[in-house]
Amino acid sequence: MVDTETHLKKFQKELSAGTVSLVLLAVLARSDEPLYGYQIAKRLEQTGDPLLGGKQSALYPVLRNLSGAGLAESHVEPSVSGPPRRYYRITTLGRQVLAEWAGSWRTTRDSVDSVLEGNLK
Amino acid sequence: MTAVLPRSIPEYLDQLRAALRGADPALVQDALYDAEEYLRSELAANPGMAEADLIASVASSYGAPDEVADIYRDTEVQVTRALRAPPPPPRASASGRFFGVASDPRAWTALFYMLLSVATGIVYFTAVVGGASLSGGLALTIIGIPVVILFVGLVRVLSLVEGRIVEVLLGERMPRRPVYASRELPWLERIAAMFTDPRTWSTMLYQLLMLPLGIVYFTVAATLGALSLGLGLGGLAALLQGFGLPMGELEFNGGVIDGPGGAAIVMLVGTLLFFVTLHLARGIGRLHGALAKQLLVKTSQQ
Repeated sequence: MVDTETHLKKFQKELSAGTVSLVLLAVLARSDEPLYGYQIAKRLEQTGDPLLGGKQSALYPVLRNLSGAGLAESHVEPSVSGPPRRYYRITTLGRQVLAEWAGSWRTTRDSVDSVLEGNLK
Repeated sequence: MTAVLPRSIPEYLDQLRAALRGADPALVQDALYDAEEYLRSELAANPGMAEADLIASVASSYGAPDEVADIYRDTEVQVTRALRAPPPPPRASASGRFFGVASDPRAWTALFYMLLSVATGIVYFTAVVGGASLSGGLALTIIGIPVVILFVGLVRVLSLVEGRIVEVLLGERMPRRPVYASRELPWLERIAAMFTDPRTWSTMLYQLLMLPLGIVYFTVAATLGALSLGLGLGGLAALLQGFGLPMGELEFNGGVIDGPGGAAIVMLVGTLLFFVTLHLARGIGRLHGALAKQLLVKTSQQ
């Protein structure tokens, strides 16, 4: 049997590089209250596998990235269970960017689907 | 390298630290902090579960230490590429390299850091000297211990603040999270750890150094900046006056500035000096960034 797993892994890694930011921003946009890393990870767990087999530790650097780019803002609150937690909340800029990203995602998804389903002449 | 599965949170963090060996120390500090937040939240969410079982389940959701290390290494490369302003295109000619410094934001922010450092230097120096003498004086009394703890805490907060300033203005990657401290130890040992941690001392050394360094940086930046601007603009004004433009009360006569030729030379010298100042600021910025990294971050991981 030819080993296809490495190809799958590589593909998933490249694919998720962009979608993780989109998914995280969407989770933050849907939440009324600021969320911290662990909460976001658990919310994503309920929706299936948006990380495409990736590990949840990948979320933290991306969250920091979003915050660094001004799409999310963050603050630290002490916690009883461990180190102080960093809570994230989406910014106005983040919402605008999310709308554009979502549009771009839908366009890509539709065109990829139509190619896969053979709707080409 | 697949080590034995860790059985406790400190073991997990130790393995993660080992797996990240050789990575940027600031990245290591952030990765350890994130992992601890996740692990402790997981522990709090599953009260009945044994720590070893919990770590085993975390290895498949959060990732085993090796995997986490790889993820942080990869993401760091992507993030730095995406977030940092692209470096200015390299210039081939010597004059391009000399004047190109003006389009490098790093040179301008480093110049600003040099001007700012006298203020931050005074704050750090005062905090360390004041805190140390207060702690020393009160050490004999019962309120000495809380004062010492507050003092070390203040030193750490200021260290994190300085890290942010250095990263933004000088471009040296610094930690975005406080250093990981073991929460398992009894409080007396944690206080002892504050004093045996070389980072506590190197941080205080850095904060003391910041006063003389800040004064030197400020003096150099202010003197060279004022001198080059004065020469450049003064030369320009004299030149314009030489062409018959009214300059109000200003009068240029005598010395080298007499005549359009002298004025042009003065203006040229001022302009060149300004570019030299920018080069100097960028160089000092790099050196100071390395110093901050060494004293504020690296000593904690040796």
